[in-house]
Amino acid sequence: MKFTRKLAFNLFAWAIVLAVAFPLFWMLVTSFKPQFELFRRPPTFLPETFTLEHYWRLLSGTNFMIYFRNSAILSTVTTLVVVAIATVGSYSLVRFRYRGRESLAFIVLFTYLLPSVVLIIPLYLMLVQMGLSNTILSLVIAYSTFALPYALWLLRSFMAGIPEDLESAALVDGASRLGAFRDVILPQLLPGIISTALFAFILSWNEYLYALVLVNSDSARPLTTGVMNMLVSAFNIEWSLLMAASVMMSVPLIIVFAFLQSYLTRGFGAGGVKG
Amino acid sequence: MADVILRDIVKSFGSVTALRGLNLQIEEGEFVSLLGPSGCGKTTTLRILAGLEFPTSGTISIGDRVVNDVAPAQRDIAMVFQSYALYPHMTVAENIAYPLKKRRIPRGERTVMVQKAAELLQLTELLRRKPRQLSGGQQQRVALGRALVRDPKVFLLDEPLSNLDAKLRSYMRVELVELHRRLGRTMIYVTHDQLEAMTMSDRIAVMDGGDLQQFAPPNTVYREPANRFVAGFIGTPAMNLVDGELVLSGGDWTFRTGNLSVPVPPLGENAAAGPAALGFRPEHVRFGEGPIEGTVQVVEQSGHENIVVAKFANDLRITGRAPAAQVWKPGEPVRIRIDTAEAHAFAAGPNGERLNRPRAAA
Amino acid sequence: MNPARRTRLEREYALLGAILIAPTVLIFCAVIVYPLVSAIYLSLFQVFTPTLEGSWVGLSNYRELLGKEEFWTSLLNNIIWTVGTLSLQIIFGVAMALILHQNMWFRSLARSLILFPYFVSTVVAVLVWKWLFNDLYGIMNHLLIVSGLTDFPIDYLGTMPNAMISVILVGAWKYFPFVVIAVLARLQTIPDALYEAARIDGAGPISRFFDVTVPQLREVLVVIIMLRAIWDFKEFDMIYLLTGGGPITSTQTLPLLVYKEAFKLNQMGMASTYAVAMMAIMLVFMILYIRRTRSEEDT
Repeated sequence: MKFTRKLAFNLFAWAIVLAVAFPLFWMLVTSFKPQFELFRRPPTFLPETFTLEHYWRLLSGTNFMIYFRNSAILSTVTTLVVVAIATVGSYSLVRFRYRGRESLAFIVLFTYLLPSVVLIIPLYLMLVQMGLSNTILSLVIAYSTFALPYALWLLRSFMAGIPEDLESAALVDGASRLGAFRDVILPQLLPGIISTALFAFILSWNEYLYALVLVNSDSARPLTTGVMNMLVSAFNIEWSLLMAASVMMSVPLIIVFAFLQSYLTRGFGAGGVKG
Repeated sequence: MADVILRDIVKSFGSVTALRGLNLQIEEGEFVSLLGPSGCGKTTTLRILAGLEFPTSGTISIGDRVVNDVAPAQRDIAMVFQSYALYPHMTVAENIAYPLKKRRIPRGERTVMVQKAAELLQLTELLRRKPRQLSGGQQQRVALGRALVRDPKVFLLDEPLSNLDAKLRSYMRVELVELHRRLGRTMIYVTHDQLEAMTMSDRIAVMDGGDLQQFAPPNTVYREPANRFVAGFIGTPAMNLVDGELVLSGGDWTFRTGNLSVPVPPLGENAAAGPAALGFRPEHVRFGEGPIEGTVQVVEQSGHENIVVAKFANDLRITGRAPAAQVWKPGEPVRIRIDTAEAHAFAAGPNGERLNRPRAAA
Repeated sequence: MNPARRTRLEREYALLGAILIAPTVLIFCAVIVYPLVSAIYLSLFQVFTPTLEGSWVGLSNYRELLGKEEFWTSLLNNIIWTVGTLSLQIIFGVAMALILHQNMWFRSLARSLILFPYFVSTVVAVLVWKWLFNDLYGIMNHLLIVSGLTDFPIDYLGTMPNAMISVILVGAWKYFPFVVIAVLARLQTIPDALYEAARIDGAGPISRFFDVTVPQLREVLVVIIMLRAIWDFKEFDMIYLLTGGGPITSTQTLPLLVYKEAFKLNQMGMASTYAVAMMAIMLVFMILYIRRTRSEEDT
């Protein structure tokens, strides 16, 4: 009796979970089907003919690798810059006393919520004027508008979680402020830094609007707009190819999920939705 | 020669004033406790000494040096924190070695010094562990080891025993006193536990509301409390404090409350007739015979004695110590006598000063 | 020996703090504050995008905005989208969190699967759903026809109200994991003693849920709703990619309107006016959220 109830509950729960995950499963399955199999009625659940041809064509016959490289550079640079600045910035915000510190924290929270469309027009004008349009650098600059407030907000909360006594102890033991930061705070902050870096990377990797507006050449186009372009520009839509592209595009995310998922959930807590 | 001097230290956090003009002179090699209820400013005082907080005004000297502008690192102090503040990512050995490393002591020498400190505190077996693998008592010893390894001029200890269980605490009290004797260094010890302060200190600085109330050896603090606050704060069970008024008649002082009238020991020149308080310790209350009649309310047995709380006219409650052989039951009528030679008179108000004539002069 | 109000050390620390925050402040000023101010400034101009030539028009853009039907329909669409997708996110999110809080088999795997849509790129989500929604070969239509719910393939994105419903559903699918994780984290902090106490007091499973779980979740739900309301309100990618605002302007929300005005109709001044107006509307939520966060920090 008890087991039957347990079984029923698990079947029910897993049915919902699988329904939620189904679109992603379908993406994966479609990417391995040859084009003609897509038109089969009824559709085949698992591929009858398993093929990697779409992946092969994606890598050799399209601009996908260029986009992928652009996205990788763009997201990595944005993440490194933003996390470095936000780490020292949050240290200052949490552990130093000076005038304007409180209002600064307020501005950080405000910009964390600010919609991109408000900034995009002036940013566009500014970057065009600086002659940076159609460069990866222009996107790094644009991405810092959301990644930096986000990183600051996250790291500020992680930083506040480190006991102040640890820093005090290091100061008494003979360290300078920066010495205490390096010897004691950074090692303690490391999990928070990893969380923040993952979030910043994923946000940058997934960004679409700035890329749409600021970059109009394949040499600088990241994956999001690049892959969408493949959809729009193709005469007849090759769904298998697009699904393969979607899978490839999600590879960094899959890696993060497989190995670093706990850092993602930790970031949730720090991001302002504490229990 | 005074080793640590705080002069007119004021510290305010925004609109809250934590210290209002604190003056303290601590002799070299002394063990001094800063004792008081939470919020009295004792921890702030210690942090100001350490250079972790900055006084709003006033000067701090350690040794012969004014250290207001000196970073904690250069003050030649060591501190043990209530939370121990062990570096979680370092092993015990690395924790103890950290202050030495910051002073650029060569690695070989460092290892020897860490070994010595570890032996002194029985930590040798634990040197490779991380702090989270240690018990509370062991962590506490590591924190001590980190403080004493570099032989500072002054030790600052912020409630170091408060997170230990009772048994370990009394053991560590003895250990700390022994350590102080062996090292001969100045130690400043913050605590809210009067037992710790009484048993360990050369002198106790009793603090309340950001002010120093009394700074004297434990015996003096107990027997000649400077004011009503100290009298009520020191001693368990607390001193009986009764509000009433002082009356001078024919050169002798009498204390009156309700229909009760008690003779008072000789008072000093600061005494004046009028509202005041009478204080007397529970051990100076005798049960069984005497002029005051009331009812037993509560009896606490502790084996070697009984603590008896009795109620008298006008809602007056008096606590006394009775020998274990005397059996008292709640509800029973009782007569008491107050040993007035040992009583104290205090001026009115929560911090009213003691009015008794100083003992030496008496 | 008359110490200044601030010791030298204190001043040194303050200086160090200022140096450490300086890069942040510089970047904030350059890429956020300056653009924000220019956006407001631009909203007082008429700017033609290709030539970037502008002329001062004062508040007339705002006057025009108030009379413009497209602004009001976009605002209405925006509200429908936000309320619709947010309610679904909350309902499914809380339900899923309660399920995941139970002792189910392979719970961490289930949690990963649920979490994944939230982190996947909107572009990927949209491509997959467009494929699922495909009129001829999409699996959605196939399943509906096989199950007999419909005789003809449904046009999910090209007609109304289907388009709005589809957008809301995909939005709920992508963003409900946020609610799941936040609620789940809170559920795990409810002390078991509370449930035991309720059980001793004779509460059944249902009254335990309403008397113990719900009050404990109230706080976190308020925060989640405010945060998600702000984020859903400003959503651009998903709607733009799924429908482009269509059919015609049936699913066009304010962010899409700003984009269209600035980069398709080449009217940057007017676009800025829309953007500033949108921000003004959001400001209400933002201030509510900020005040709440700050009061929480103070306690």
